[in-house]
Amino acid sequence: MTLRYENVSFTYPGASSGVFDISLEIGRGELLAIIGASGSGKSTILKLLAGFVKPDRGRILIEGAEVSALPPEARRLGVVFQSYALFPHMRLWENVAYPLKVRGVKKEARRAQAVEMLRRVGMDMRADDLPAALSGGQQQRVALARALVFEPRGLLLDEPLSALDAGLRVEMRDEILRVQRSAGIATLLVTHDQEEALSIADKVAVMREGRLIQLGTPRELYETPVNASVASFVGQSNLWPGKIAGAGLVETAIGPLACETHGRSPGESVIVFVRPERVEPVDAAGMAEGPGSFSGQAAADRYLGPIRRIDLMVAGGLIRLETHQREPVTAVSIPRDAVRLLPAD
Amino acid sequence: MSARASTPTLAAFAAPGAIVFGLFFLLPVCAVLVGALADGGSAFGRLTADPVFWNGLRGTLVLGTVAPLFSLVVGFCVALTLSRLAPGLRTAALIAISLPLTFSGLIVAYGFILLLGRSGFVTLLLAELGFDPAVTGAFIFSPLGLGLAYSYYLVPRVVLIVLPAISNFDRNQLTAARSLGASGARALVDVMLPQIMPSLVAAFCLTSAVAVGAYGTALALVGTQVNILPLVLYSKVSETGTDLPAASAASLVLVAICALVVSIGEIVGRGRKARG
Repeated sequence: MTLRYENVSFTYPGASSGVFDISLEIGRGELLAIIGASGSGKSTILKLLAGFVKPDRGRILIEGAEVSALPPEARRLGVVFQSYALFPHMRLWENVAYPLKVRGVKKEARRAQAVEMLRRVGMDMRADDLPAALSGGQQQRVALARALVFEPRGLLLDEPLSALDAGLRVEMRDEILRVQRSAGIATLLVTHDQEEALSIADKVAVMREGRLIQLGTPRELYETPVNASVASFVGQSNLWPGKIAGAGLVETAIGPLACETHGRSPGESVIVFVRPERVEPVDAAGMAEGPGSFSGQAAADRYLGPIRRIDLMVAGGLIRLETHQREPVTAVSIPRDAVRLLPAD
Repeated sequence: MSARASTPTLAAFAAPGAIVFGLFFLLPVCAVLVGALADGGSAFGRLTADPVFWNGLRGTLVLGTVAPLFSLVVGFCVALTLSRLAPGLRTAALIAISLPLTFSGLIVAYGFILLLGRSGFVTLLLAELGFDPAVTGAFIFSPLGLGLAYSYYLVPRVVLIVLPAISNFDRNQLTAARSLGASGARALVDVMLPQIMPSLVAAFCLTSAVAVGAYGTALALVGTQVNILPLVLYSKVSETGTDLPAASAASLVLVAICALVVSIGEIVGRGRKARG
């Protein structure tokens, strides 16, 4: 069960926004997350696959068959909406059984299947309740059960956790992953929460202004972003404009840094990228002189429980670091292998 | 601190409503009841023995059902379209749609005669296309034509009652139903209609009560050719055959029908609210 976009473009009528030349593939049992800022086109990607809008160009394929022109009801895809979109006048089992009802399954059979699906998401004890009696997390479980009960060819999740509070979001994230894995179904997750995407997706696509700017595993995305835009969107980052000073050395506003320059010419402009957790606090007294060593004063010190996030003001700018250390930090070292060079755009 | 107003204050606020209800409903109904019983109740006997009354009752029930149903279908479609418009455009369209409510039934009837009567603008236009004006021009004076004229001021009432319910409906539910396998029409029937049913029932009952009691339009369009209770009532108070007790009895039947229809609407509406 694969879901595929081939060079798909779509522009909203009367507007210049949309998505442009998108090619993606989601394999059987795979979970692909799409992340991006508001208006980046991530929800449009989902709408195109669900059939809520039709592409201007390109093809959308499910299991190798083109579905670009098919209406939503003919695509057999389960969709979970941000607002859950449960039917308030139907009991939980009737909500879950609705896809079976439109497919002509007899009442007793569809009730049995719906209750079994509710059991899988831990909601079978509430089968005869109305949605209004449920919390947000419980409604989410029912919406997930309803999207999966008819054995869809793919599961589409549109910001499914954004209406939940932080604690419940983590719990539901694991629940979605468990149910998705047990169903072995190709899944598209649209979210603006990069932590959510990194934690459950097999692959993550980053969108910006309607274009796909990077597709990779969460690790690839986090450690080797293709540009400053991805680096800043996915996780925390230090980004400094710089120039190649020579082989293995880049000059920035905060000072020189040792790095792998990959044959770049001296004078070439780059963006220097360092993750905050790769910045190492050191003892100011014993600090080695040279590239990658800096001392300064903490401009901001945020307590985040297990770690602290510190903005260290050094000559020429700020260095953000994350550390488990509880003592004051006045000097840091940036190792050579922590520094990556990104295009200057 | 209690937020509840004192009993005298509540009574003071309720007084104007109670006075209007007493003066303009209870008093006239009592007067009509007294009039109907003036000859010892035999007026009811005369009325029920008259086949014209039964034909009129049948005509009223048919007109009071078909015209509101037609208006409900048209009004629902109009409200559905309006709910998708931008707020400014929707307000402008609502003002235009509500305009017929300001006209009297008589003016509406003359408007229809000018348009669809034997020398009406549309009739003459159709005659140019080869349609017989004797046939097309007679339509507006038939029971169906009367129903169409009624719908002219029933549709705006439906739109005004149904539009808030449709506007507040979460359209994501329709999208969800489509993605779950339902066609657009099925999603509308299974998901939207049950949720806006109280407003549809209320709109039907109100327009039915209006249609049952409408008099001016019917008199101007069809005279006494079509048998409906308001025209039976008219014939009982006309100079040729005045029978005021029978007219009072017919009035009470009309009031009873309207009260019944509105009560059914209230009961259905409240029942659904209580279940929901």
